Amino acid sequence: QSYSFSSVVIEGNRRVEDGTVLSYAGISRGQRVSGAELNDAYQNLVQSGLFESVELTPRGNTLVIEVVEQPTINIVNFEGNSRLNDEELAALVQSRSRRAYSPAQAERDAAAVTEAYIQQGRLSAIVSPKIIRRSDNRVDLVFEVFEGGNVEIERLSFVGNRVYSDRRLRRVLETKQAGLLRLLVQRDTYVSDRIEFDKQLLRDFYQSRGYVDFRTNSVSAEVTRERDGVFVTFNVVEGQQFKFGRISASTDIEGLDTLPFREEIRVRPGVVYSPLQIENTIERLERVALAQGQDFIRVEPQVTRNDRDLTLDVDFRLTRGPRVFVERIDIEGNTTTLDRVIRQQFRVVEGDPFNPREIRASAERIRALGFFSNADVNAREGSTADQVVIDVDVTEQPTGSLSFGANFSTSDGFGIVASLSERNFLGRGQLLNFSISTAEGNQRLAFSFAEPAFLGRDLRFGIGLSYRQTDNDDALYDTTRASIQPSFTFPVSENGRLQVRYTAAYSDLFGVDEDASVIIRNEARDGARWDSSLGYTYSYDTRRTGLNPNAGVLLRFGQNLGGLGGDTRFIETTASATAQTTVMNEEVTVSATIEGGALNYIDGDNSRVTDRYFMGPSVMRGFEPGGIGPRDADTDDALGGNLYAVARFEVQFPLGLPEEYGIAGGAFYDMGSLWDVGETYTADVLYDDFSLRQVVGLSLFWETPIGPLRFNWTEALAKEDEDEEQNFDLTISTQF
Amino acid sequence: CVAQYRNHGYVPADEALAAVNLGQSRASVIATLGSPTAAAPQDEDGIFYASSRVRHFGFLAPEIIDRQVVVISFGSSGGVSNVERFTLEDGRIVPLTRRVTDNTVRNTTFLRQLLGNLGRFDAGTILGEE
Amino acid sequence: CGTTTPTVPLENYTAREIFQRGEFENARGKADQAAYYFGEVERLYPYSDLAKRALIMQAFSYHRDTDYDNSRAAAQRYIDFYPADEDAAYAQYLLALSYYDQIDEIGRDQGLTFQALQALRTVIEEYPDSEYAQSAILKFDLAFDHLAGKEMEVGRYYLRHKHYAAAVKRFRVVVEDFQTTTHTPEALHRLVEAYLSLGLTDEAQSAGAILGHNYQATEWYKDSYALLTGQGLETRASGDNWLSKIYRQVVRGEWL
Repeated sequence: QSYSFSSVVIEGNRRVEDGTVLSYAGISRGQRVSGAELNDAYQNLVQSGLFESVELTPRGNTLVIEVVEQPTINIVNFEGNSRLNDEELAALVQSRSRRAYSPAQAERDAAAVTEAYIQQGRLSAIVSPKIIRRSDNRVDLVFEVFEGGNVEIERLSFVGNRVYSDRRLRRVLETKQAGLLRLLVQRDTYVSDRIEFDKQLLRDFYQSRGYVDFRTNSVSAEVTRERDGVFVTFNVVEGQQFKFGRISASTDIEGLDTLPFREEIRVRPGVVYSPLQIENTIERLERVALAQGQDFIRVEPQVTRNDRDLTLDVDFRLTRGPRVFVERIDIEGNTTTLDRVIRQQFRVVEGDPFNPREIRASAERIRALGFFSNADVNAREGSTADQVVIDVDVTEQPTGSLSFGANFSTSDGFGIVASLSERNFLGRGQLLNFSISTAEGNQRLAFSFAEPAFLGRDLRFGIGLSYRQTDNDDALYDTTRASIQPSFTFPVSENGRLQVRYTAAYSDLFGVDEDASVIIRNEARDGARWDSSLGYTYSYDTRRTGLNPNAGVLLRFGQNLGGLGGDTRFIETTASATAQTTVMNEEVTVSATIEGGALNYIDGDNSRVTDRYFMGPSVMRGFEPGGIGPRDADTDDALGGNLYAVARFEVQFPLGLPEEYGIAGGAFYDMGSLWDVGETYTADVLYDDFSLRQVVGLSLFWETPIGPLRFNWTEALAKEDEDEEQNFDLTISTQF
Repeated sequence: CVAQYRNHGYVPADEALAAVNLGQSRASVIATLGSPTAAAPQDEDGIFYASSRVRHFGFLAPEIIDRQVVVISFGSSGGVSNVERFTLEDGRIVPLTRRVTDNTVRNTTFLRQLLGNLGRFDAGTILGEE
Repeated sequence: CGTTTPTVPLENYTAREIFQRGEFENARGKADQAAYYFGEVERLYPYSDLAKRALIMQAFSYHRDTDYDNSRAAAQRYIDFYPADEDAAYAQYLLALSYYDQIDEIGRDQGLTFQALQALRTVIEEYPDSEYAQSAILKFDLAFDHLAGKEMEVGRYYLRHKHYAAAVKRFRVVVEDFQTTTHTPEALHRLVEAYLSLGLTDEAQSAGAILGHNYQATEWYKDSYALLTGQGLETRASGDNWLSKIYRQVVRGEWL
């Protein structure tokens, strides 16, 4: 039946106003109201979350709405929590101070907190919300937390594993058996979704070793009587190991020659089957298709089993995928970086065919900019079925650092140090570095600027200025050095880039100690000297774009030709080759580097101590800067060398510690030499010719918020008696 | 120096274009050939597909070496009235006006941008890497 | 150097005293302190008649202190508790401003512009006769214009890099979906430029015709007219040697 109310009376509301109740109820005075509408009004009022209880009672032609308001939350806090601190818990909870208290929300919050504890393996955690009445219909909301004991896995065992032992399989799983370090390690607790993840890990482990039929029948977990430990047993069926049989590439697209594709297949018959190899081959074939300018090519592997000889024949079928285009590329979240700086990283343009691999490569390039803490690029349905919109969502991170300071050292005196470095100047992707230090004994000024997309092209313009003046009395000699170096870098091929540069440098050697080496005293006689040289460096880098995703090669060859004006004529040649790959299914990284430099002066000029190479720890580890190389026999001064050659072999491996610590181990073996001081001015020079130094060492990598650090401990196997060793150093671990 | 080539856009294959007959409705053309690269200003009167091949060589500006534009125009009755093909030669070098309609929102001052972006505390500065 | 919120226990002050302290802080320009005090009034005396006033003052103070997140939270609480109140319009307007004031140069993030448009639309639709509806409409148009600016920015990027088809797509979006904005004449001129570069002369003619019909007096029409009638602008404006081009693009960061 329906009512018509001439007046509406609201009782029991104190903070919430009549108007508010009416607007939520949606009933105005004198309006004809049916039973259903009354019920809707009731529901709205309840949903508003402002009221503990609501009653609508029609009395004649007046409607009485009786409400009891929810109290307002004064403060929210937690008691009894130690594993998770208050901030972490507050983030999980929706109830906030100053909002209306709602029992249902408090229950939901308690459940959220309990779930967080279960994730930590505290299965028996209990969280109960309590309220404390305060004056003026306000309440304090307190979550009483009982964390309960830590339920650890006493034993982790396997049934049905013939090929791999329990110990080997335990190393594969995320979940660990509680051992000696049970207090430290958090992953020895029984958490159901981590067990699901372990099943996946086991399957990947076996599949990548050719056991395609592997499956986990069941995982049983019995709880000990005292409810503080769990016995977990994995019941597995391994099946047979399969090898690759016949490998082929075929297509039904006319005019597509499969030869270049077949040449790229690296999988050979007889090798143990692994899905990783299939995935790598697909990536290589799709790259070949991209290089040929073929659009919409999809590679689908068809696998045929022959159980008799336990081999799998794989035919990579090249098919024409669906015709899908990129409708728009929308970039969001770039609060500092300009849109064009990000859009430039896309080789695809709106309207082009959609190629997922190219989009992934562009996402990689955006992340490599280093301006964003997070950059995800994904495609979503466009306005029509055959169009796709690429959504780029970035979160900026600060890219500038400014530091002021003053330093005082007995040798250099008092000085101000200031430096500004910005990798994304004004959001334009430009690099700007400026640093100055005015210590009286060691004045330094350095400025560098780079525009990676000069005139909108893939052309990097860079300019570097530096001025350095050292003059302190207890140093062997004082120098003044200044240089200016504009440069252009541009791609010359798919993986090759060329840098051409001009360098004008001024160097002066003065204030040489009387008992310094006779060579240095002679070299100082020339006084100030101008060098002006043209130079180039060709680098070939396949790390990101190479066909094998997790291996790469970086070759560099450069020369500086001095003599374009200036006082000296010289040719400086530097070369380096680095190769890196991952082994033992991508857990261990192995890399080898060969590096060398040759500085030869022509028609009568000769190098000076300020020009020659001093092999610092960044080139060869294990020695102080200037610790090896030609040395004056009487005064024991390091003279530097015109020629150097080094080889470095490294391996980096996980230490089994949980990833969140970000710690990995490493070992390395370096060998190399620095020699040929050139003109010796009748001095007696030690080690002026090639003599191989060999060093072996261990290192520790640590990913810290301020950057990847590397601790090196070294031991020299072969060195000269006067060399100065350095057995420990701390550097930034650069990815070659 | 080795030149690199990149293809952009999409133009339907010749046989697909040959299959378009006069009078065919706009929707059915789009269904067979795929979504057009863009349409002419007035929706009714035409759609076009464009594809281009760009040569990137060293530090030179990227250069368009081939472009195919296929325009399908529709008559008043809504059916296909003409299919034309344009190539690179038809294109003209057009000087672009530098002027930009300025937006009303003040952008953040130079200094605030510069200082607003600080905070990267980098191991490089601590260890005084040169 | 952050703002230090005072720790004096406020429990034993009356709501009025704390409120007046908040107004005092506001008068002296300490908006964040004022916001803190208004927040305390609401927390300690949520049922006093001052609580409502304090809540809206809190939203206003946080906004003045450019602390947009807190200002949004306070404004949202006001709308939840007092939707029918005459200050609700102002709360909704403050909510919209918290997005609008963060809109930055076109080249940058436009996510906020969408949120500003939605919030401004709620002000216009739910409180049409409030004093804020008028300035909300004005700000809505400006934000809408700003969104069109972003499309133009991307269009010019593709135009400059000779991807004419992609540029045409973007400028068409401006002409179709953003006709009322100030960018439409430029979009039409850019269409003329792009179509001529592609060699589609009659498409260029029709774009130029629309421009001439609706925006006869603009500079853009003059440029298009010159392009279409074949005189063509001189290929390089005066003073545009390669050095000034480098200065403009690298130092001033302009697009062309």
